[in-house]
Amino acid sequence: MLTRFIDTFRGRISRPLEYYGDICVRCGACADACHFYAASKDPAHIPAQRMMLVKKALQGGESGKGKFLDWYREYQGADPAFAAQLEKAMWDCTGCRRCAVFCPFDLDTGLLVGTGRYAMLQEEIGPEMIAEIGDAEVSKGEIIDFVKEFFVEQTRELEARLQEEFHPDLEIPVEKEGADALYVPLVGEHAIIPAAKIFHAAGQSWTLSLFTATNHSYFVGDSAKAKDAANWIVQEARRLGVKAIVYPECGHASRTLFNYFEGWFGDELEGIERLNIVPLTYQYLSEGKIKVKPGMFDTRLTYHDSCSLGRSSGMYEEPRELIHAVATNYQEMTPNRELNWCCGGGGGLIAAAEDKFQIRMQGGLPKVDQIRETGAKWVVTACENCKTQLEDLNEHYKLGIEIKGVIDLIADALIV
Amino acid sequence: MEIIEYLLLYITPYIAVIVLIGGTIYQVYRWSQRKPVPAHLSLFPRPQSRLGRLGDALLDMFTLRGLFRVNTLLWIGAFAMHIGLLLLILGHIRVVTDFYFLWDWIGWGEEELHTFSLVAGVSAGVLFLVPLFYLLPRRFGGSVKFLSTPEDYFILILLIAIAVTGMHMRSVLDVDQHAMRKFMQGLYIFRWEELPESAGISFIWHFALVQLLMIYFPFGKLMHTIGSIFNKMVMRS
Repeated sequence: MLTRFIDTFRGRISRPLEYYGDICVRCGACADACHFYAASKDPAHIPAQRMMLVKKALQGGESGKGKFLDWYREYQGADPAFAAQLEKAMWDCTGCRRCAVFCPFDLDTGLLVGTGRYAMLQEEIGPEMIAEIGDAEVSKGEIIDFVKEFFVEQTRELEARLQEEFHPDLEIPVEKEGADALYVPLVGEHAIIPAAKIFHAAGQSWTLSLFTATNHSYFVGDSAKAKDAANWIVQEARRLGVKAIVYPECGHASRTLFNYFEGWFGDELEGIERLNIVPLTYQYLSEGKIKVKPGMFDTRLTYHDSCSLGRSSGMYEEPRELIHAVATNYQEMTPNRELNWCCGGGGGLIAAAEDKFQIRMQGGLPKVDQIRETGAKWVVTACENCKTQLEDLNEHYKLGIEIKGVIDLIADALIV
Repeated sequence: MEIIEYLLLYITPYIAVIVLIGGTIYQVYRWSQRKPVPAHLSLFPRPQSRLGRLGDALLDMFTLRGLFRVNTLLWIGAFAMHIGLLLLILGHIRVVTDFYFLWDWIGWGEEELHTFSLVAGVSAGVLFLVPLFYLLPRRFGGSVKFLSTPEDYFILILLIAIAVTGMHMRSVLDVDQHAMRKFMQGLYIFRWEELPESAGISFIWHFALVQLLMIYFPFGKLMHTIGSIFNKMVMRS
């Protein structure tokens, strides 16, 4: 039982994970941080307990039997009941790291869960769908020449439509060498449309990437594949000679861009800036490159801090400034910024589809309460995962709200 | 009995010091053998400059202000206990030497000093002991109950026992401080002295339990003393 989990995990312990088990004092501060624990009261959802379960599994030793002072370490052996608890601990987590903010030592459960998930998949426990999408993102680069034609054709159609609806000079360049910015979209045109409008209005020289920013291998802690998937984008940027890679409204992808790319690619990134569309749009606005109609929206709205963009990338003020530029009836959520509740849909749980729907809806309860308190009709956010989760929560709990992206608001309020 | 007393007074203290220092160095070495995560694990907001981040980490470590914001009650308990412990450790410097220059400078004689060390010692002891009686029962309920392992109870009870025996010596017994200091100095220079009669039975217990704590230190959660500052820097990288 769990031998492959144990072996895999042991081989992948990083420096922080080596001391997490030693230095956690089990003070329980993290229990109040976790949205899953708040909603379920299941001890396996307490962040410190997630770490303790891994620690107990690893203490089992090669034979699977405990050795020294079992009663003291509360080692029970790896039976199916233990494996079920461990599965909950590793998979019912969005890696939002709210618990790390609560922890007096800043211990990062997201890091633990990443490594744990990879090891769990070796044991074939957990939703394999997430890893499969990750694999598809890696292999997309190999078949890109076959799908390129179709992609370009679709983009031309979208371009023609936007020229009619928005501005006759609007362009959506693909594979344009010497462009300044490479915009990496998401699956679907909703991530391209507002960006194309804003780039057009700002007079930005840009080109659309053939790839998508999402990186599902990252969700399952497979850093080698996560790097491979991101590598296609870096190589595309180098081939086209762009000066910046711009990521869309996507939390986890932006987190990889800001916090992982340096370690993965090092010198290859020389001369390439790494940006997210939201701060970039704010830059356009503050430099006067784009103009918006102030007070365009008077609907009561609120902003949801995405965990990956806020806590993990420090993007707190730019989206708020952008919203204030176009909306008059803004209501802040409580708590907000680094203490904001996670929406409950991150960490790849959305991709696990039916498997994790129930737990997502449960884990979203603190968020639902927060939204209800603001009385907002629109919830604005800058992360695709959060948007999907909030849509699901909206439907499930009949909130009667609309979910919007930050750059959607700006694109709708542009003066061209 | 006499042989045990002899061991606890003159032999095991050296083992305790060796285990404490050697074990701590070994644990930190063990951690360092693992590869760091090739990513920035920063939590935001964080200061921009490297020096600012170090300052932020140290400030956070010494004030626990992050905990203050999210769990004020636990902060009061934890902070008071740690400050009490810090003051007690400072006070115990007088066991081997004394702040002679300081007393000269203030102009305190033997009697004033005696009163001061009684008041200060008991205050620090209370500051240390009272929070422990909050932290221990706290473990018997709520989500902390699920998390608590035998180690957690062991450490808390050990600390309470050390504090109680120490308080007993400080406030009930009239221990001859000069003779005590001579005894401890003897340990350091390997010229063993007799334990003064006035130390009483409390001293043996106090001394033995502290040695147990020192020996346990590297192998359990007490290593958070060292690990927390490392992690605070990692989470601001």
